Amino acid sequence: MQYKSQAVAKPYFIAAIGLFIGQILFGLIMGLQYVVGDFLFPAIPFNIARMVHTNLLIVWLLFGFMGAAYYMVPEESETELYSPRLAMALFWIFLVAGALTIVGYLMVPYAKLAEMTGNDLLATMGREFLEQPLLTKVGIVIVALGFLFNLTLTLLKGRKTSISLVLLMGLWGLAVFFLFSFYNPENLVKDKFYWWWVVHLWVEGVWELILGALLAFVLIKVTGVDREVIEKWLYVIITLTLITGIIGTGHHYFWIGTPAYWKWWGSIFSALEPIPFFAMTVFAFNMVNRRRRDHPNRAATLWALGTGVMAFLGAGVWGFLHTLAPVNYYTHGTQITAAHGHMAFYGAYVMVVLTIISYAMPVLRGRAANSNRAQVVEMWSFWLMTISMVFITLFLTAAGVLQVWLQRFSTSPLPFMVVQDQISLFYWMREVTGVIFLLGLVAYVASFFVKGEAATLASSTSGRAGIGTQPA
Amino acid sequence: MNAHSLDTTLSAPASLAAPAPEARSTPPGDLAIWFFILAELLVFAVFFAAYAFARAQDVALFNAMQDHLDRNAGGINTVLLITASWCVARAVRAVCEHGRSATGAHWLAAAIACGGGFLALKCVEYAGKFAAGISLSTNTFWMFYLSLTFFHFMHVILGLVILSILWLQTRRGGYGPGHANGLESGAAYWHMVDLVWIVLFPLVYVMR
Amino acid sequence: MNTDRSFIVLLAATAATWFIGESGAAGAAAMTATLVLMLAKGRLVVLDFMGLRAVRGYWRLLLPGWLLFVAIVIALAFRLGHST
Repeated sequence: MQYKSQAVAKPYFIAAIGLFIGQILFGLIMGLQYVVGDFLFPAIPFNIARMVHTNLLIVWLLFGFMGAAYYMVPEESETELYSPRLAMALFWIFLVAGALTIVGYLMVPYAKLAEMTGNDLLATMGREFLEQPLLTKVGIVIVALGFLFNLTLTLLKGRKTSISLVLLMGLWGLAVFFLFSFYNPENLVKDKFYWWWVVHLWVEGVWELILGALLAFVLIKVTGVDREVIEKWLYVIITLTLITGIIGTGHHYFWIGTPAYWKWWGSIFSALEPIPFFAMTVFAFNMVNRRRRDHPNRAATLWALGTGVMAFLGAGVWGFLHTLAPVNYYTHGTQITAAHGHMAFYGAYVMVVLTIISYAMPVLRGRAANSNRAQVVEMWSFWLMTISMVFITLFLTAAGVLQVWLQRFSTSPLPFMVVQDQISLFYWMREVTGVIFLLGLVAYVASFFVKGEAATLASSTSGRAGIGTQPA
Repeated sequence: MNAHSLDTTLSAPASLAAPAPEARSTPPGDLAIWFFILAELLVFAVFFAAYAFARAQDVALFNAMQDHLDRNAGGINTVLLITASWCVARAVRAVCEHGRSATGAHWLAAAIACGGGFLALKCVEYAGKFAAGISLSTNTFWMFYLSLTFFHFMHVILGLVILSILWLQTRRGGYGPGHANGLESGAAYWHMVDLVWIVLFPLVYVMR
Repeated sequence: MNTDRSFIVLLAATAATWFIGESGAAGAAAMTATLVLMLAKGRLVVLDFMGLRAVRGYWRLLLPGWLLFVAIVIALAFRLGHST
């Protein structure tokens, strides 16, 4: 670790993994509830489990982004973090607030929770993914502002690199767009219109900047390729992201009551949203091919390459499958959506956070890379989780295709619940696969505890010649 | 710029008859701008294709609405953009082959003037349409006409911003033979903007 | 010199396209003529203004390829629309 203050990243990463485990447990609960409808009813009804699953996902990814930023920015800026103490204080505030919110979802009837937390002052609850009480939302803003303040001041007093600039742009964007969660219009069309300014402009907008920056950072470290080359690619990727993704928001405006031109704008621009993901994949493989050294952390390199591929497949390809209006007319809100959502989130954001943790955690623990044995376990966890996710997606896609066929496309459509019965086989297969995913996650956690001599640069160098400039 | 973007040969001095610059493996300017250009061209290609196929669904409507377009304005605008591109090409030659920055700056200024003319004429065209009550929701033809041309309009603005920066740099003698990467990159972007209109004009204003 | 010659040709081609429009000609012949003019103009901008004439390899083919692709798509859509 080059700067002492980078150490604050560690608790953030640990919290992230802990919350990830919680997320998957609730995912498995829901997966079972799909086929055994009253599983855990009334203690944990489906809608509560869903809130916990989705909210935990977002919060653990945020912990991951924050840890990543605290690790990366001091190193990129070549100066200590402005205030490690603030970073730690915010960590506890965020963690406790998050935990209390989840406890609130589970222990308190939602309407009562709303009453207790000031929803009558400003009604922000009750919307998908934005179920958090007003208090929690305000807390998130405060934590985000403190976090951004800390990092921005660090950046300002040190070296400014493309990676840190893109990362901060993405993070500021994340905070700014979250403010739209406070805007909850009476008019249902406007409600839904602006809801996507949080959700779409996050995951198909500013979060992609964060993704690009994290990926570029790890690739520079493990490949030793010239910084200028990697930073140029990063700019190309984020430009492609913004060109396609901003007006691409329109692919959520097909059926909510907005003017018809959105069917055209949304289809045309969002059809091209896979391109930046394709570029990211080519970029990652290209950099690894041109590497100037064989970094001992082979697991991190695997995660980096895997992120490109899975993000392209999950977000890019599966997104494209249902992004054109004429197709979406039939598939909207079906298991096709779930298939895309799972693989996209996993491929893009789960994997990039696991990539940066894979790279940074060993360093935070005092070595360049974990032992060979630990890395093997970690790589097993990569394959178990990734392959399970591919199969979860395939099963949900099959379920979705059948659902669309029976419930929407047919000349005599069947009712929703009748169709759900017809596709339940796929739900069972998804649940079994989900258990394997959990096993992968267990292996992942276990890899942190596998002992052995740390792998070093000397033990894995293959004598590659570099050209001229020193790696960054 | 680093070694990676300078692996091209220096441009050969122009001969009078048929100039044959040494062959190079990468286009002039930064490779990154060319990826950007390709991405933009792809977006426009998809938009053009969408227009063409939407038109195929209702040829009568599109032909009827097209009659309301000001083809003269479209034609003059085409001339303006082509002229601006020619001026940019002349500017690049002046700087890169002859090292004459002052001349180059004048050519760039002329290009900017032409581009500004395009914007002005387009605004007049739009004003006319809006005054007639036409909007994105009038019908599919008008939706495409307004979207396509407005999207292009925004790119002309960006192109002019880039040309202005190039003009400022050139005036200061910031570019010369062998070190005009920025100038060539910006010029390439402008030519893309021209190229898009070269498709747009016949497609939307002429073809029936 | 190439750039100046190309400029003149571009102006002439623009005039021709405008004239086709003015004449109100419709149908496959007019469409083909317009597309050919469009391709010719595009090629000149790509090769002489953008300077790709001097480039070898796939960059030399990419942009003219784009023009061809767009022209083919337009022609196909046109055929589709007028075949009823």
